[in-house]
Amino acid sequence: MPGSVANFLWCLGTLFELCFVVCSLVRKSFGRYFFLNLYFILSVLVSAARFLTLNSYGQESDQYTYTYFYTDALLTLGLFVALISLYSHVFGELGFSKQIRFGAVLLLLGTAAFSYGVVRQSEGRLATSFAYELSQNLYFVGLVLTYILWGAVLKLREARTRLVQIILALGLYFSAYAASYALLNLADKYAVIQYLSQLLACLLPLSLSITMLRHTEDSRIATAPLVAVQR
Amino acid sequence: MSRKLGTLVLAMGILVGAMGLKTVLTAKTKGTVLMANNPAPFPTIKQKPKP
Repeated sequence: MPGSVANFLWCLGTLFELCFVVCSLVRKSFGRYFFLNLYFILSVLVSAARFLTLNSYGQESDQYTYTYFYTDALLTLGLFVALISLYSHVFGELGFSKQIRFGAVLLLLGTAAFSYGVVRQSEGRLATSFAYELSQNLYFVGLVLTYILWGAVLKLREARTRLVQIILALGLYFSAYAASYALLNLADKYAVIQYLSQLLACLLPLSLSITMLRHTEDSRIATAPLVAVQR
Repeated sequence: MSRKLGTLVLAMGILVGAMGLKTVLTAKTKGTVLMANNPAPFPTIKQKPKP
């Protein structure tokens, strides 16, 4: 069984995920951010499935390893769809909905093809390696997509506070994930980085819940001062 | 350039950028894996004994 810190972070993260869904329901924004809510509901269900597998078979078992990697691929797919739904929020009014859907399918197929190309030669189980590779690659696609979306928000002078803060939170989440990957090159103690990645998974639902609670759909923010350099 | 072609070029550009970034960041990792989707503890992967 994992240590107490890992278990604590796991419980805390699941609690924050539930908190986001409850906040969305209370603030009547569940439908508006449906795919983001779906992602967190999926994540709570995945936590339950992983907990059951962990309790029954243990952390070193093949069952837990397979459950972990397959559900992670599913979650990353959910996050990708949630990110695309944010694109629809920003570009929908400009009449680009069709192009966004087309681009999302192209990106997904391209990432899947690239992942297959990487794992094709692997000696182990192809499906597990593919699930892992797809999950990792989609993360990095998500990172690039979030930065492009942030650029679009600035260019289009998007003012909806909730949308802006959700995009910023996702940007920080993806960037911190990429940074922790880079940190792996430097850090000797792997466990420390592992806790960091668990902490990141807790902070995303927390920041989104705060956004939901603090702002309404009518709240507006000027994005220009957010990037202005103080002189 | 049509909108469809523009989307195709943009999607390929994003894919190339993302994979390039991943290659740069993971080039020197020693086979370690990192997942941040859900705060569940990472599974302990058993090392296969060398023959």
